[in-house]
Amino acid sequence: MKNKYLFPVILFLLAVALPFIVPEFWVHVLTEILIMGLFAASFNMIFGYMGQLTFGHAAYYGVGAYTTGLLMVKANVPLLVCLPLSMLSAGLCAAVLGYFCVKLRGIYFAILTMAFGQLVYYIIFQWYSFTGGDNGLQGIVPPAFLGKAANPYYFFTLIVVAIGMIALWIISESPFGYTMRAIRDNAERTEFIGINIQRYMHLNFIIAAMFAGLAGALWGPFNRSVAPDLCNWQHSGMPVFMTVMGGPFHFLGPLIGSAIYTMMMAFVTSFTEYWPMVSGIVIIIVVLVMPGGLLGLLGDRLPFLRKIGGSSKKTNQ
Amino acid sequence: MKLRRNTVIFVTFLVCSYFFFASGATAAEKYNLGVALGLTGAGALYSADGVEGIKLAVDEINAKGGLLGQHKVELFIRDSQTKPDVGVREVKDLILRDKIRAVINDYSSAVAVAVKPIAQEYKVLHIASISNSENITKINPSPYTFQVVPNSYMQAKAIAVGIAKLAKQKGWKEYITIASDYEWGRSTQAETVKFLKEMAPNLVLKKEFWPRLGEAQFTSYITGIMAMKPDFVVGCIASNDNVAWMEQAKTYGFFDKIPYPGSLITVTELQLQAKTLPRNIIALTRGPFFAHMDNPMMADFVKNYRAKYNKFPSDWAVLSYDAVYALKQGVEKAKSIDTEKVKDAMKGLTVNLTRGKLTFRTIDNQLSCSSYLGTIADDPRYPFPIYKDIVEVKGSESERPEKEILEARKATK
Amino acid sequence: MDITSLFTQFLSGLTYGTILFLVAAGLSLIFGVMNILNFAHAALWLMGAYFSYTFWNLMQEHSFAFWLSIPLAGLAAAAVGWVLEMVLIRRIYKRELYEQLLITYSIALILSDTIKLTWGVTNKLIVRPEMIRKPVFIFGAPLDSYFIFVILAGAAVAVGLWWFLKYTRYGHIVKAAVHSREMVAALGIPIPQIDTWVFTLGIFLAGFAGGIQAPIGSITLGMDTAIIIQAFCVVVIGGFGSLLGTLVGSLIVGLVMSFTILFWPEGAMVLIFVITAAILIVRPWGLFGTPMRT
Repeated sequence: MKNKYLFPVILFLLAVALPFIVPEFWVHVLTEILIMGLFAASFNMIFGYMGQLTFGHAAYYGVGAYTTGLLMVKANVPLLVCLPLSMLSAGLCAAVLGYFCVKLRGIYFAILTMAFGQLVYYIIFQWYSFTGGDNGLQGIVPPAFLGKAANPYYFFTLIVVAIGMIALWIISESPFGYTMRAIRDNAERTEFIGINIQRYMHLNFIIAAMFAGLAGALWGPFNRSVAPDLCNWQHSGMPVFMTVMGGPFHFLGPLIGSAIYTMMMAFVTSFTEYWPMVSGIVIIIVVLVMPGGLLGLLGDRLPFLRKIGGSSKKTNQ
Repeated sequence: MKLRRNTVIFVTFLVCSYFFFASGATAAEKYNLGVALGLTGAGALYSADGVEGIKLAVDEINAKGGLLGQHKVELFIRDSQTKPDVGVREVKDLILRDKIRAVINDYSSAVAVAVKPIAQEYKVLHIASISNSENITKINPSPYTFQVVPNSYMQAKAIAVGIAKLAKQKGWKEYITIASDYEWGRSTQAETVKFLKEMAPNLVLKKEFWPRLGEAQFTSYITGIMAMKPDFVVGCIASNDNVAWMEQAKTYGFFDKIPYPGSLITVTELQLQAKTLPRNIIALTRGPFFAHMDNPMMADFVKNYRAKYNKFPSDWAVLSYDAVYALKQGVEKAKSIDTEKVKDAMKGLTVNLTRGKLTFRTIDNQLSCSSYLGTIADDPRYPFPIYKDIVEVKGSESERPEKEILEARKATK
Repeated sequence: MDITSLFTQFLSGLTYGTILFLVAAGLSLIFGVMNILNFAHAALWLMGAYFSYTFWNLMQEHSFAFWLSIPLAGLAAAAVGWVLEMVLIRRIYKRELYEQLLITYSIALILSDTIKLTWGVTNKLIVRPEMIRKPVFIFGAPLDSYFIFVILAGAAVAVGLWWFLKYTRYGHIVKAAVHSREMVAALGIPIPQIDTWVFTLGIFLAGFAGGIQAPIGSITLGMDTAIIIQAFCVVVIGGFGSLLGTLVGSLIVGLVMSFTILFWPEGAMVLIFVITAAILIVRPWGLFGTPMRT
């Protein structure tokens, strides 16, 4: 019986069981994997499904993180209320910035998203009186019902991320999601059948940003602080790395990529300070040798890893 | 065949269990000390020296058997990249994976402020040996955080005292500040301006410049300031940026034209820029070795440091070395390496350091240590200029009054 | 604010713009000909700065050490660039955009750590020769005397490149390749060779720019991440593949930074990004770029 949901269910069960087996340090790593996985999955809505490379996605992640941070620290708003508000603020930001971005394609789209990302970064960085500038915001703690220990916040993150991923899955398997794939594969033809592709791309951009904002919102209480660097272009590169490592043409690719990247980082940083060099080498190998990522490599052998269609040759110019 | 295989498995199992259990069994427990400093980024210059001071102290302590003669100190060094979020992650790693009991952190006050609640949450000692923003100790105090550097308030007061005197002498009226736009630069500049207003009310602050942390091109600031022709300029720039700023300003003849009193020029800059540093300006620093050569502990430290690293120790080496020894004396007073006992022992403790016999203030765990003003001048004993006519502004003379601290804490509740 | 101070800020902006031009010229050239946005460009620039420090250090007793180290830095960086092109870059010309960006970004990461491994984390300071330690005054406005050399070097590079593109055969091929790689290949000209030499030239420019930068302030890790984004802005504003565009773009960025600092210091970088975004929205190929490029 080849249930197409077998793989995600196995992953989920593994995620539930692990905190009881591994030391506390690795529970922190797992929490980070989940948050970055959601971030990368939201990025893949624009990249894998829509075929455009955004190099400024961290801006929306950062806006979400700061929204939650500011609300919790300055106004004592409960975390459960902050989460949807962070999605809203990230979405609003994307509504404005994305409107311009979707007028462009290819390298121009990438650079404009990067420029907007830096714009958001500098605004947060310089607005010292409101955001704390380069000090970041301190004193963000998980709500009382979760407490400060690692496991409760991990399970909370797991639930939120699971809901987020399911939502993204539903969107990507809906007619809207298939329109995105059509735009990716051939924008011109899609326009000919009467679809206003800019409107659809704009909407997809906003949705992707909202889920990035949700991921960012989870980060603040986990790390106990937020900093402007969450918005910069290097951080925008994270979901790109992770998605490419895991496989941009599988729905769970970004999450798997996040797991590989984060665990590798946790391992490597324990015995060397030259993680950037190692990560650079790994990425080069992945791009040159495994363009479909890990799931691309395995997907041919394991039938329950469903491809979302498309191949590595089809990003929209 | 089966017997052979089973024997091999059994013996392997025995050997593994031996190593597994033996590793923890007989040796007295190590004291894991973490160091998270800005080894790259704007703080690289000062942080590298800090690590050297710490390593020397740890070597000396371990040569005598370790803390309390039995607990060898094991160092775990990480790079905070002078960024708060990286610093927090590295310290969390150190705590959870390397099981450190204390961390010396950071170069950047912003990072230290971010690490403070983490150290408190995980009940790990946190000693600031380079960064000195007052906000590390003034508000949201943590019983685990200790400061062995004169803080920004103390330094600002010392600067203001020096400048106010000069201003009266020379009839100065207008001034400009240039301060790096981050926690330390902001708090130092703010306090200095406030003090100057009190001590020399006729002075007018004409303009404030805020180059960002990590600024490499100061040209526009230099030319902007020179165009405004102020009577003097107060600078709050440190480490890599300070070196760049002074080198670039020098080429514009800045220091010949405009007095630049009371800025931070540490032993690092004195050594690095020995050939180009402007002489005869009055500067400020936190832990110059040459101010305490009469203290045998300092003389020994300088001798051993020179033997090991072939150069003279900067302030950061002195301060970080002192940090380790303060911790050691805390452990000795507590007669235990248990963090809870050590933190209680260190409260209000008087310690013997290279800078003399100094006491931690109970209200904020701030060491009552001195700030040092002096005039930059060459000295035949050293291959670099040092401070002449040193004015040592003692901790007791420059600390913020306890009443104000309590008020500030109430205000942030 | 009087004329002298305004002129001072102008000179300041001009100098900063020249430095940006030197960094961005190679970047623009590489993108124009090979369609690759070289994320590693600034890392090679920084490597050039460190190389020039090492050369200067080795030859310190000689008075020409300071000056010679600059072109030597360019050559050393070009050698690294040449190896990179042969080993990695040539594999990605036909790849997808994201693969190219990831590869050049990874090269940047590897190079940054290589710099750290090779030269360590402490600042490197080059001591200037006596004659350029004092400022000169132009209409009463002070200018770091070294900057005269910087501006002249920038002008020389600009003129040299212009002459190369306009009057030499190789230059014509390069200009044609900016317009259409396919056509150039169709004419029987070996594009792979052109690619290698253009990339190496672009990296030589980066290393040379690093050598020029080295005596200004000090050399420290992390300078590359700061300048790469500004270099991108220059190339976007001016237009990819256009020499004039890079020159104009770098002057715009330099002058905007230097004048904005006077009245809105926090906003200087924000303004640069707003301008960059505006250009991308209104005229994506930049002020002097060619519209038919994708």
